[in-house]
Amino acid sequence: MISRREFLASSSMALAACSTSTWSHGRTAEMAQEDPRLLRHVLDRVAYGPRPEDISRVQAQGLDAYLASQLNPATLDDSEGERRVRRLETLRCPTGELFEYKEELLWTELASGKLLRACYSERQLFEVMVDFWTDHFNIDSSKGDCPWLKTADDRDVIRKHALGSFPELLRASALGPAMLWYLDGRSNRKSTPEEAPNENYARELLELHTLGVHGGYTQHDVMEVARCLTGWTVRSDTWFGKGRVEFNNAFHDDGAKRVLGQDIPAEGGKDDVDRVMDIVVGHPATASHLAAKLCRRFIGPDTDGATILVVAAAFAESKGDIPETLRALFQTEAFRMPGAPTFKRPFRYLVSALRASEAEIMSPDALLDYLARMGHSPFQYPTPDGYPEEAAPWTGSLLWRWHVVHALSRGQLPGVTTDWTALKSNAGGGLALAESLLGQSLTLAEKKLIRNGQAPGLILAAPRYQGA
Amino acid sequence: MRSDPKVRFREEATHTLVVVFLRGGADGLSMVVPTEDDAYYRARPLIGIAKGDTKALDSMFGFNAAMAPLHRAYDEGELLIVQGAGSEEDSRSHFEAQDYMEHGGTGAGGWLGRYLRNNSRAANNPLAAVALGKYSPESLRSSPATVVMDSLAELSLGEDAREYLDDLRDLYGAASLPWADAGTDLLDAMERIESLHSSPYESEGGASYPDDAFAQHLKQVAQLVKAGLGVEAVTLDLAGWDSHVVSATLMNPLMTRLAAGLMAFYDDLGPKRENTTVVVMSEFGRRVYENASLGTDHGRGSVMMVLGGGVRGGRVLADWPGLAEEHLEGPGDLPVRFNYRDILAGIVQRHLPETALNQIFPGYTLKPMETMY
Repeated sequence: MISRREFLASSSMALAACSTSTWSHGRTAEMAQEDPRLLRHVLDRVAYGPRPEDISRVQAQGLDAYLASQLNPATLDDSEGERRVRRLETLRCPTGELFEYKEELLWTELASGKLLRACYSERQLFEVMVDFWTDHFNIDSSKGDCPWLKTADDRDVIRKHALGSFPELLRASALGPAMLWYLDGRSNRKSTPEEAPNENYARELLELHTLGVHGGYTQHDVMEVARCLTGWTVRSDTWFGKGRVEFNNAFHDDGAKRVLGQDIPAEGGKDDVDRVMDIVVGHPATASHLAAKLCRRFIGPDTDGATILVVAAAFAESKGDIPETLRALFQTEAFRMPGAPTFKRPFRYLVSALRASEAEIMSPDALLDYLARMGHSPFQYPTPDGYPEEAAPWTGSLLWRWHVVHALSRGQLPGVTTDWTALKSNAGGGLALAESLLGQSLTLAEKKLIRNGQAPGLILAAPRYQGA
Repeated sequence: MRSDPKVRFREEATHTLVVVFLRGGADGLSMVVPTEDDAYYRARPLIGIAKGDTKALDSMFGFNAAMAPLHRAYDEGELLIVQGAGSEEDSRSHFEAQDYMEHGGTGAGGWLGRYLRNNSRAANNPLAAVALGKYSPESLRSSPATVVMDSLAELSLGEDAREYLDDLRDLYGAASLPWADAGTDLLDAMERIESLHSSPYESEGGASYPDDAFAQHLKQVAQLVKAGLGVEAVTLDLAGWDSHVVSATLMNPLMTRLAAGLMAFYDDLGPKRENTTVVVMSEFGRRVYENASLGTDHGRGSVMMVLGGGVRGGRVLADWPGLAEEHLEGPGDLPVRFNYRDILAGIVQRHLPETALNQIFPGYTLKPMETMY
């Protein structure tokens, strides 16, 4: 990794207007709120990168006011984002009726919706958190009835609670029909003394969704949680009520259980799930695990332990209120001191490039194809840990980044138009446009890439644009 | 200026190690079935594989019929099977177990990454490591270079991109960001492969590759090996083995794909098998007892296979006291009797005789085992 010092040196040419700011006065000083480099950094994390006018807009509004509005998305008019997905009818289709559609159509509309909202929604933080929780509660839409039920999961679990309460999100996920399919909860039952519960969901609940793999649970806890959740299933064999979640007491293990040192008395029936949720949500390892993951996403892989503790405390004190937790994170010094850039995952990279160039997406099909080649197809990660955050597994996607930029900058990306002429004239020429796309002044080699000012968009293929 | 990497033909020296990872925890007991062990059928009254549905390997084990095509390689002495293989990591978590296995312990980097770093043939060769698919696996972490691709043709940007690629070479060559080297390596690989995919590929030895992704990936590997581009390590996955529910429905198509793909590769390579070793492994096996959903939960020991590369095959290595309860581990699992590193070490020693094995498997004392060659 490059050090913060190297990063500072490499950015020192950036934006001459700010060269006298706190930047040069040592690393501990906080950047001025209106510093465009800080605003760019924030928009790269809290949003999917800035559109051409975004930085001056946030500058006028004030950073704190911007963050506050993003944390309260209901106050943001999102008619544009909604207009873009209006024709995607299956997104609004009631769960039971989803089975009337072909799975390809459902996936295409779901993935298109994700891409279009990420590009055009004003509720950028909300969309970023939707992406975060989609990985955290990953469901591969290819398993069992998931091709139909993932649409409902995205709407009724992930989007419903993305900036809400973590305990409610977790419970909705646990009893969501897609998750009951994906991690086999639907066939976790005990109707005879010989029958052994299916541990699949119970293990991932502890390992991935709440405490984390080193969170201090044992194999015995996994088995006990699985016992608590026996009897929950999702209707699949009859057309009527298909996809409906049900509790069958005859398949529930109604004996006493002990989870993470806490007793759950016998005959709890369908309430056992709430006892389990309370125990795991309230466990201190859950706050630490989620705080570390959020810091990883919004600050970086090397976030210091003290910062994670602050965020974990906010999570615990607010009883898992997601906006309160993020508010605390956004106030940390680590968040407001841009460190070394992290490698953008392909989805983030592609959306940031489309936003930066104000691309008009008529059809997202070609873009979804590129995401597949870059290994980042929405809702298609096979294992429950979700798409990885770190750079190493993604560097192979550079090839497709170069491909997509080559097409985008020449106006040859199918279904996508970009008015490069207008962008160029608004920015004051090709070099100025490239500089504003990059958010930093250009090196000689970068200038050469857009020689003769012909395709300033090619700067999006440069090494510096791959990270943020 | 752009440096012009020369395509070096060094097939004589190259030893290619192809690592097939069966992700999801493959149930070795349904693949290499202990047909003569009554305890197996007692533990799996509903899902046990009947002897009549197997092809005998020795006096204890039989191949599941879905794996039977591999029996020819076994008969020809080029397939070694290890029953009860795995790692000492016993979390029974897919991710922990895969990570542990692919890292070769708890040290930094992947074991294949270290294999390549300790391999002078791999130095400065951007094609030394190829990950078929969309991702670079953990085993290749810290490898000097990795090309990730689904097929060779993907790497071309077309004729009119020459200038663009030259400029990218300058940019990535000058950058100090952590991903800059990956860009430079990729540009090198693109040049080399450009020459390969321009002509159609004809497989040899009567090999016929099925259309599925696993077989098609192996076909690309054969093409790379035969072209002598110095590929030292290849990874590919066959995923989806997490058979918690109705294991036969889930496993039969996977086993069929595994066997058909490997045999096409085996036939296509012909004499080149001498310097090409395929190793097949999974993060863990499954519980010996079936569960209520006609499946099995996460267990410990699974099957490993070594194909080609001069291995002394036609044998099943298994220290087999039987599956009676007193011989099981934890909640009822087949114990790991062969540490995967002891098996990999045998292959590494064959491919890199000069290299100290503790460079590749640090922090682990290799156990002497029956010779593999």
